[in-house]
Amino acid sequence: MVPLVSMKGITKVYADGTVALRGVTFELAEGEVHALLGENGAGKTTLMRILYGELRPTAGEIFVRGQSVAFRSPQEAMRRGIAMVHQNFSLVPSFTVADNLYLAVTSVKPMRRGEVEGRARELGARLGIEVPLEARVEQLSAGMKQRAEILKSLLLDAKIIILDEPTSLLTPLEARALLGLIKELKAQQVSFVYVTHKLREVKEVADRVTVLRKGANVGTFQVSEVSEAEMAKLMVGAEVERVRRSRSGAPGEVLLEVEDLAARDDMGVERLKGVTLSVRRGEVVGIAGVQGSGQKELAEILAGLRRPERGKVRLGGVDVTGRSPREMRRAGVLYSPESREEGLALEMSLVENSVLARQGEHASGVTMNWKSAEERARQIVERFRVVFTDLWERARNLSGGNQQRLMVGRELESEGLLLIAHEPTQGLDVVSAEKVRGEILRFRERGAVLLISSDLDEVLELSDRIVVLFEGRVVGELKGGESDLERLAKLMGGAL
Amino acid sequence: MVEAELWLFVLISSLSYMTPILLATIGEIITERSGIVNVGIEGILLSSAFASVATSFFSGSMLLGVLAGTLAGALLGALFGLFAVYLRADQIIAGLAINMASYGFTVLGLIAIWGHHGASPRVEGQLPYFSIGQSTVPLLTLLAILIAVLSWFFLFRTRTGLALRACGEEPRAADAMGVNTYRYRIAATTLGGTLAGLGGAFLALEIAGVFTRGMSAGMGFIALANVAFSGWNPLPAVFGAYVFGFLSAAADALQQEVGYAYLLKTLPYLGTLAITVLTARRSRAPLRLGVPYARE
Ligand SMILES: Nc1ncnc2c1ncn2[C@@H]1O[C@H](COP(=O)(O)OP(=O)(O)O)[C@@H](O)[C@H]1O
Ligand SMILES: [Mg+2]
Repeated sequence: MVPLVSMKGITKVYADGTVALRGVTFELAEGEVHALLGENGAGKTTLMRILYGELRPTAGEIFVRGQSVAFRSPQEAMRRGIAMVHQNFSLVPSFTVADNLYLAVTSVKPMRRGEVEGRARELGARLGIEVPLEARVEQLSAGMKQRAEILKSLLLDAKIIILDEPTSLLTPLEARALLGLIKELKAQQVSFVYVTHKLREVKEVADRVTVLRKGANVGTFQVSEVSEAEMAKLMVGAEVERVRRSRSGAPGEVLLEVEDLAARDDMGVERLKGVTLSVRRGEVVGIAGVQGSGQKELAEILAGLRRPERGKVRLGGVDVTGRSPREMRRAGVLYSPESREEGLALEMSLVENSVLARQGEHASGVTMNWKSAEERARQIVERFRVVFTDLWERARNLSGGNQQRLMVGRELESEGLLLIAHEPTQGLDVVSAEKVRGEILRFRERGAVLLISSDLDEVLELSDRIVVLFEGRVVGELKGGESDLERLAKLMGGAL
Repeated sequence: MVEAELWLFVLISSLSYMTPILLATIGEIITERSGIVNVGIEGILLSSAFASVATSFFSGSMLLGVLAGTLAGALLGALFGLFAVYLRADQIIAGLAINMASYGFTVLGLIAIWGHHGASPRVEGQLPYFSIGQSTVPLLTLLAILIAVLSWFFLFRTRTGLALRACGEEPRAADAMGVNTYRYRIAATTLGGTLAGLGGAFLALEIAGVFTRGMSAGMGFIALANVAFSGWNPLPAVFGAYVFGFLSAAADALQQEVGYAYLLKTLPYLGTLAITVLTARRSRAPLRLGVPYARE
């Protein structure tokens, strides 16, 4: 039987010289869910953007239902029934859902606005994916946005839907609903490419799996015939040694106390509504919650970057509420933010970034002592295995993973008592992620860690205690290590 | 009684002064809604003013002059779009380049054609108008208001307008939805230039009747302020342009009455400053304004 899609020998070299794909072959059969598994940077997104006509391959051929195609734009792919739901979605945030659907549908075939909306309602009701059509996209939860995207694909009569890391922004409950929807649509002859780096999801949803590693296909299997351990090994290229947390001794005195903290985000939306928590010396306290539950604002307040509207922050018994970032650093707070754009000055060199916020320690009088700054940079890049060509090159030229290692490494190399690590392993391959996790655990000997992460396995594994935030409030506290993913997931969704 | 007549005169002649600012504002709104900021409209006003005067000087036709000014604006808008959209140049620098080049070339043109570096001879002729009592209102002013209404309809009530705004809000999403961001953006800068060009022709042929060096005198920048004041919406832009037009007309009229010429001339600019400060926080610019888009 002719496969629905067949990609042969796909090679992609980006304009900056990055070789993202090296002769990848990929096939999608009619009516299957095909997982595309690989680490960050393996080339999954690149391969699928090529299939969706957003990128052109440097070399290689694509066949849809046996016919050779060379898409020049997503429009052409949509006409062949291919739709893609991007990891960060591709909806215009300030437009309503209806505007978005109308725009997308009419770029492929002319249709009146009323008809688009009518069909969206009818389809939504039939499949149980109702989305408020008149709401602005930016007001929707991630799960809703995704439904809007899937609805959009279905309105375009897509027979092939590419989902790029579809659960990365969802609550566990939303993720489960998505898997249900996929099964339902599969029964109606829609085929899926399910892009992920999560082994568990492959087992749950896919019929076949193709593993990508460093831009190459290292194997395609029936999911029922391959174990999670085998897939992990293929994906990483080696056995992964996982950090096993050693139980720390009894925690020491209270280091950080947060009392009834309330704050708004930049748009003025109330994000923290009275959070109280404490962290003791020797502890890793994990903060779990869906994106936007207030964890970002909490981290920013502790780093001195945001003023709370009410509440108190005490560090070692001293009231530090509303202090500046500089004063917070002096008081012993180390902060590795969620975004590398915030944590690094990307246009500056590795050396400059290594001493950022601690220039004083590498200056004599008013002049910088660049020798000593270089020394520090060298320590960081060696300990955290940052791959670079020149210590004086711009941080922007590093790949995402290396930027992340530099940023986290700089904090871990600094003197401090309390480490606030927000998504410390994002963009890292499994091996470096484990290295960073090991360093975080080791930091307990120096003080305490507040770990904010959307990787629930990471939170469960590293934390002594887990505080769950939901809509700006603490809705529960769990002991770490007890691996109660089920309970954690429910709390994160707001179920008590 | 003289007082009242004077004010009536100012209120009506404000319409005239308003026109180039309004046209430039609408053009810039369309441009910025697509995600491109063109600070070169000042230069486009100037260049098209020159083109319109030179053309009507040689052809003897005011209408041909208007056409030439509009065309010059379109060309400059397209040129700017080429740099900003396809070559991904820094939009502010490209815009400033247009401003400086326009100033230089128009002075050069003055010397080359008329051997004079201050002003051209007066152009003969009269653009179509209609009368209200003893005052007249140029037809192009009505056209400009009509264009404002049509542009509003275009931006907020048509599919093409929706797609254009999508390019300014989230070009990546627009692209993924099959909207050709590049094409929309260059079309927007061209259309924006065209409208500014019409405004420049009006400024030279209707308001001044001559070309003088640097005659746009900050009108392009006033238009930029008006874009923010109007919240990137052509309808409030009519009101904003009228306020600025009124300040210019009042400055002109009062200057003849009371003197203090130089001080009064600063009225429109002070007004701009005030309005910019007052509205700075009110409206939201297109999300991806000024950010070049590249698919890869
Ligand atoms: N627009 C781009 N320009 C240059 N390099 C890119 C671009 N997008 C991705 N890459 C690089 O291509 C490689 C594969 O990336 P990607 O396809 O996003 O991987 P994945 O989706 O598997 O995480 C990475 O090394 C990444 O840094
Ligand atoms: Mg990806």
